[in-house]
Amino acid sequence: MRRFGPSALLALTGAAVLRVSLFSELYLRYVQAGLRPYLIVSGVVLVLLAAASAVARRTEAADDGHGHAHGPAGPRVARLLTLPALALLLFPPPALGTYSAEREAAARAAQGVGTFPALPSGDPVELTLAEFSSRAIYDSGRSLAGRTVRLTGFVTRDDDGTWYVTRLLVTCCAADATTGKAEVRGVAAAGAPADGAWVTVTGTWHPEGGLGTDAAWPPVVDADRVRRTTQPANPYERP
Amino acid sequence: MENRYRARRTAADALRLALRALLYAVVGGAALIAVATVVSVLGPVVALDLYTPAVAAWWTVFTAVVVQGVPFLLLGTVVSAALGAFVPDRVLARLLPRSPALAVPVAGAAGVVLPGCECASVPVAGSLIRRGVAPAAALAFLLSAPAINPVVLVATSIAFPGQPSMVLGRLAASLGTAVLMGWLWARFGKEAWLRPPRRPAGPGTSYGLGGFLAGLRHDFLHAGGFLVLGAGAAATFGLAVPRTVLDVFTGSAWLSVPLLALLAVVLCVCSEADAFVAASLSGFPPTARLAFMVVGPMVDLKLIALQAGTFGRAFAVRFASVTWVVAVACSAFAGWWLL
Repeated sequence: MRRFGPSALLALTGAAVLRVSLFSELYLRYVQAGLRPYLIVSGVVLVLLAAASAVARRTEAADDGHGHAHGPAGPRVARLLTLPALALLLFPPPALGTYSAEREAAARAAQGVGTFPALPSGDPVELTLAEFSSRAIYDSGRSLAGRTVRLTGFVTRDDDGTWYVTRLLVTCCAADATTGKAEVRGVAAAGAPADGAWVTVTGTWHPEGGLGTDAAWPPVVDADRVRRTTQPANPYERP
Repeated sequence: MENRYRARRTAADALRLALRALLYAVVGGAALIAVATVVSVLGPVVALDLYTPAVAAWWTVFTAVVVQGVPFLLLGTVVSAALGAFVPDRVLARLLPRSPALAVPVAGAAGVVLPGCECASVPVAGSLIRRGVAPAAALAFLLSAPAINPVVLVATSIAFPGQPSMVLGRLAASLGTAVLMGWLWARFGKEAWLRPPRRPAGPGTSYGLGGFLAGLRHDFLHAGGFLVLGAGAAATFGLAVPRTVLDVFTGSAWLSVPLLALLAVVLCVCSEADAFVAASLSGFPPTARLAFMVVGPMVDLKLIALQAGTFGRAFAVRFASVTWVVAVACSAFAGWWLL
């Protein structure tokens, strides 16, 4: 058992990485989509390395004559790897949600007031919350005016009953998540779903506050329709 | 006569072996079923009590940091194991200038070639020291590689559109810190602080494919364990320090620079993403955001854990604290000069 400990650890880590990247899309809860090929390659390399080192250990002479610090079972600290590996294999942790969104002050990327490229034609136009808020706050060309937009996110609310369609923005991994949100008003805003429920909000931009000022944040959408939906495969937005 | 006796003995042995296997299977199976029953009945009850949203968020951030780190750690350990197994000592010695004063800037600039975030550079630097490269040069490489490689610089220019001075400032301040730290080590560093990175020296397996596989296995497992430690620390501190606290300090330039430099240590954002996080900290002056991007790839909790594992705790504590001070000073200077 001790002899095959390192191989077992490598195989376990490789299997955990492959389980979330190759056999499912769970990796999207933790890292960005672009990392998938690297995760798959790493998982395969780890499994192959585990097999190669198991074979090497079998053929190796039984006497482990080399005197180094941590014995034939490999470095002891490596056993910590079982923790995230088993978590990923047995109970993959959920995507970040309302808890993280409410903890963090919602952030908006600072940018100067200016014109934006034209929105794609056709109504409603599908926008991320990051796109919606930067156009709502910084676009001197007012490209949102008169357009119907569709935003997807989960529900968060203030103590006074105002509610927001919210989405977390992840650049590299879930450790760098920041929050983007838009306040929902209008005819369809009454009877909002429970906190954390995923919704698609269709409506129009409700201008508020001066261009580029703090009063314009968070942006407001007048909702015509609020539809319940399921959590998308990628729960986060990308910058 | 003798043959029949031997056959009977073999049959008895086989029977005994089969019985023993059956016994193990029954006892082991019963134990497994008992454990599975208890866990499946009690598990959800206990888990529901302990699995608050905060704990769930901790697990997500913790696994996210590990998942994000594994590919880069593997890249770093492949490079370090290949250096150890296939590159003879004298080649490395010939590539770098003999005098440490010259070798440090050369090694710092060589950091450009390792595309990846900071997880990759620790095992490579450990391998360089093991192969007889002057520690001062290897440490300059360790600090500069995750900060000035093309992937990171491109990410920075995307995060700060229309502000090439930010990219230039990051390059200058990071390279400056790496070279200064190398020189400081060459002048004041003591070999005794640096526990020589060890690795099992199997008989005759240090070179060639066998040595490569043994080195890769050992380095990955070793560094992987410390990555898990660091990820736990990052998740804990990241959730314990709400970012709203920062709003108090946005006004003062003198406070905001060390504050964001501390935040970089605590958050452990990987160097390919920290520019986007820095860009989102919009209330802070540009110099503070530059300090966030210079300190992040050089000193953070995950890196301190990795360095303590590779070079020893005495080294990691001294090195990380001095690097933090030098990095803050360099980014303040670069910010004053360029931004």
